[in-house]
Amino acid sequence: MTSPFASMLEGLTRQRGVRASLVVSERDGVIVDASVRFGQDGDRVAALAAAMYRKARLSSRAARLGAVSFLQLDAERGRICAAGGAGDLVIVVVTDPSANVGLLRMEMLKTLERLA
Amino acid sequence: MKIAAVESWVEAPLQRFVDEARARLALLLHPSGQVVAQAGFTRQVDVMTACALAAASHATASELGRAIDGQPFRVLHYAGPEKQLFLASVRTPRGVYICLTVFDDESSLGLVRMYFDDLARELAAVTPTMPVQHGAVLAVDFEADLNRNLAMLFGRGEEIIIRNA
Repeated sequence: MTSPFASMLEGLTRQRGVRASLVVSERDGVIVDASVRFGQDGDRVAALAAAMYRKARLSSRAARLGAVSFLQLDAERGRICAAGGAGDLVIVVVTDPSANVGLLRMEMLKTLERLA
Repeated sequence: MKIAAVESWVEAPLQRFVDEARARLALLLHPSGQVVAQAGFTRQVDVMTACALAAASHATASELGRAIDGQPFRVLHYAGPEKQLFLASVRTPRGVYICLTVFDDESSLGLVRMYFDDLARELAAVTPTMPVQHGAVLAVDFEADLNRNLAMLFGRGEEIIIRNA
């Protein structure tokens, strides 16, 4: 069965350097839908990225900075990008370090608009 | 949160699980309802009640799973307005254990599930290789064992005897 998120996720996964793209419930930290390349642990990414996004959102609110639109974690062997704001749903993308984050950010925010 | 355990080999893995998953309460028990370790409970009677209910829920879910899917359901999740409950079984060389975890907004189902998988792996790896007792569980033994375990968990010198009214 194809979910309504499948085509959006395929669009993100087609971007260069993207290893996984997921729609995640922020509250539960579980996958709503995902397009994951072989070797990626989607459940683990979903749980950790949702927790990270939630902490960022709460920190931003506490600091009176308003809503978080985009979150990026750069690590030695890759990046995690998260964009939220469509209710409880967060879009999470895992990329190679060499991926074009500017382009990806634009695509993720566009996808988020379609989710809202 | 401090772990109180009847069997010391469960302490370190359970402590890691509770800390990393940010659990509010955790309970490790035998499917019969006998407690093995607990974290976060302050009263013996709460542990007893939770053990009995967790064992019953696990047994119900297992039987439902057998009826519906041909094999027992291993994981159960209930969500309340503030607190959530995650009940799952751990298979070790000494048999099956049940882990009851209560968490709130500080954690999430995904995190608890993820760290529970780690806990299950660790427990399976550190389980002592003692022979499994296959004898029938007698009511009198069960009560004595339960009382002894509760006394150990709560650091009492004497066993507290709980009898039916």
